[in-house]
Amino acid sequence: MENVIEVNSLAKIFGNQTALENVSFNVKKGETLGFLGPSGSGKTTTIKILTGQLRPTSGEAHVFGLSTSSLKNKDFRKRIGVLTDNSGLYNRLSIYDNLKLYCDLYNVPTAKIDEVLRLVNLTDDQKKVVSKLSKGMLQRVLLARTLLHDPELLFLDEPTSALDPANSKHIHEGLRRLNDQGTTIFLTTHDMSEAETLCDRVAFLHKGKVQLLDEPKKLRRQYSDSTITVELKDGREIVLPGGSEGADTIYNYLSTDQVVSVHSNEPTLGDIFVDITGRELV
Amino acid sequence: MTVSMKRIYAIFQKDLKDLSKNLFVSSIVILPVLMAFMYSRMGDILDLHYLIINLTLASVTAFIQCAVIAEEKEKHTLRGLMLSPATLPEILTGKSLVSLILTIVTLVVCMMITGYEPANLVLISFVILLSCLFYLALGTLLGLLTKTVVEASVVILPFMFLFGFGSMLKPLVDDYAILGFVEYLPNTQLVELAYKIESGLGFGSLWSHLAIILTWVIVATILTIFVYRKREMDD
Ligand SMILES: Nc1ncnc2c1ncn2[C@@H]1O[C@H](COP(=O)(O)OP(=O)(O)OP(=O)(O)O)[C@@H](O)[C@H]1O
Ligand SMILES: [Mg+2]
Repeated sequence: MENVIEVNSLAKIFGNQTALENVSFNVKKGETLGFLGPSGSGKTTTIKILTGQLRPTSGEAHVFGLSTSSLKNKDFRKRIGVLTDNSGLYNRLSIYDNLKLYCDLYNVPTAKIDEVLRLVNLTDDQKKVVSKLSKGMLQRVLLARTLLHDPELLFLDEPTSALDPANSKHIHEGLRRLNDQGTTIFLTTHDMSEAETLCDRVAFLHKGKVQLLDEPKKLRRQYSDSTITVELKDGREIVLPGGSEGADTIYNYLSTDQVVSVHSNEPTLGDIFVDITGRELV
Repeated sequence: MTVSMKRIYAIFQKDLKDLSKNLFVSSIVILPVLMAFMYSRMGDILDLHYLIINLTLASVTAFIQCAVIAEEKEKHTLRGLMLSPATLPEILTGKSLVSLILTIVTLVVCMMITGYEPANLVLISFVILLSCLFYLALGTLLGLLTKTVVEASVVILPFMFLFGFGSMLKPLVDDYAILGFVEYLPNTQLVELAYKIESGLGFGSLWSHLAIILTWVIVATILTIFVYRKREMDD
């Protein structure tokens, strides 16, 4: 399948600090790739390099076949949508006026404003002045602005970090819909369940390298110790091996009606994350 | 490269709305208008007219331009413009229009108050407009070099003083050699041009002043573009 992003041995050094040491990965057309890693591991740095906001120290990256030095191209910018933590809005203007400016910059009809606001659940607030918005509302306006021109490739840096579960869910549905329509999404998040629900593949970035890259399901299976936990009516919790010997025991408990619940002990993405990085997510 | 009027106009429209709600910055236009009222009683003296005009260019043109650019940086909105399909000429032209129009309005109001009627309005307008380009570039440059509006409005003060009142230092040039540069300041050149135009001299005796002002415009513009290109990168 065609690669939209190709990254080869990318390195970025700030002064004497190495942010990225040797990063390589590809993003396929139409997939959602989750870029996970501890705070300070270089996720935002990677997005900035891939969107022409930072020069790599060494290595190379191509987006839509363009090398990082030619990302200022006007047509390239129409094809991508970027939401990072350094995105800003005009405080004295309304949500509508902020989006109207971007409609004109991208040559998109203003009718698009309603459509993107519906996607982020802000249709009734478009007259509100930006300085009066809550943190989560700001984040949703920024996301709406990112989606205004129907980009083929989305860079989303922690798009739901300030959102309540209901709004996160609403936006997840929206993003999945976009993805179904063919939008490629490059996403960073500290929310492992978000990565699990949205991403076709996830990459773990740690110590300047991609330590692991695969489908969440496969990773969980790979990291699973294939044990099963059985909860019994007398309150005991028993961990059983996954093979035939475990099956006999479970059968006994089941036939004597002692079982409350049975769980396979697959690790969560969070468990794998901790396993790789050795520390909890912040 | 084609320049999109639509994008320029969109940025202008946004700035106009934004500035109308930003009294901290827009209220600077009161300064030259007040000065114009004060000096209007002293009669029709060319030096006074140009004191007001130069003050307008330094305060309204350069200061407002500097503040609006610095605010785009401070609020991270410049990044959004840079990531959009808008090009450098489109962004900087769009971002200069509000300051330019406010300058023209302020100048006209001030000239009406002080009763300045140039001998050759067309030529004077052209020369002032050319000077405007320098002050726009200066404001943009300082706005790009600073991080916040507050920082920008402090950094621009010495420049406002130098370009607003610098021509008044001219009488001292004979006594203090280090002030020799004052002769070449765009504001001094503007006053000299005005005197010559007023006395009916033709283009032949004007061109050297025009060339000096144009040099200021070109140097400031090149520096501005250079710094803008640097700002496109985050490192
Ligand atoms: N412009 C810069 N100048 C110097 N150092 C920088 C710069 N940008 C990032 N860094 C450093 O590079 C490292 C990676 O930062 P980055 O913002 O990419 O991390 P991140 O993975 O996005 O973290 P988070 O999850 O907290 O957002 C950090 O140590 C940071 O201090
Ligand atoms: Mg980050």
